[in-house]
Amino acid sequence: MGTTFILFVSASIFSIGAVGFLIRKNPLVMFMCVELMLNAVNLVLVGYSNILQAMDGQVFALIIMTVAAAEVVVGLAIILTIFRTRHELNVDHIDVLKG
Amino acid sequence: MFDLIEKYWNAEWEPAMVFELFNQGLTLGVGFTAILAALGVVACSSPIYSALYLIGHMVCLALLFLLYNAEFIAAVQVVVYAGAVMILFLFIIALLGAKKEDLKLTDITFEKFLAGSFVGTLFCELLMTLAVGETRPPKGEITQEVLQQVGSAKAIGLTLFSKHLIPFELASALLLVATVGIICLAKFQIPKIRRRSE
Repeated sequence: MGTTFILFVSASIFSIGAVGFLIRKNPLVMFMCVELMLNAVNLVLVGYSNILQAMDGQVFALIIMTVAAAEVVVGLAIILTIFRTRHELNVDHIDVLKG
Repeated sequence: MFDLIEKYWNAEWEPAMVFELFNQGLTLGVGFTAILAALGVVACSSPIYSALYLIGHMVCLALLFLLYNAEFIAAVQVVVYAGAVMILFLFIIALLGAKKEDLKLTDITFEKFLAGSFVGTLFCELLMTLAVGETRPPKGEITQEVLQQVGSAKAIGLTLFSKHLIPFELASALLLVATVGIICLAKFQIPKIRRRSE
């Protein structure tokens, strides 16, 4: 088991997140799919940190969590601003930056 | 796989072995539950169900982190991700209204085909890492016995504040920038713009 299981689960979650990011139209769900991809990377880091008996992987997972939290907060604020000006949430219709 | 089954078949059952088998089975079950929850996030048409599946997924990952001897990361995962981030998501969904997206997963458009083929290639490339196997034996200092003595949080803290101080400070700068960005987005009035289609 060991590394094989970690890599398989992580690759599956990352791919599911990537396909969700590409096919979904709702920006909130797209953000959730980005979270899935970040979580997949965290899983590899923590699993390998356990196997290689070093703490660096867990430290990096912690920093990834910080980045994800900041990214989600800014992204949701942007989505809220777009919704206030346009009154719809479909990424296919939001194709110009200028109003 | 088969030699593993044979090993367990012929073995004499001792408590340590039963515990190891239970541990492996639990890891397998939790891992596949995490994959299924991730599928649920993508396949649900209502964003509120997607958010709930994502919470389940994150709890599964926290359990996996616990099984990999990372208690502190598991706690942070539950508090920060399943707590703070997902609550924020649910608030925003409640604020914007959870409108259902008519998600036709069965009829394949050209875009979906393109996305599927791209991600399929990506998945195959990621699976190629499985073929490599272990290249060097583990020789770190933080073995399981050390971890049980000092605890996961202290071990992380020692590494974070000695070896990785600069990334830590950069993360604090990132949080500050995010805070300033949020205030800018929330405070300044955005002029109403014409809707393009009308």
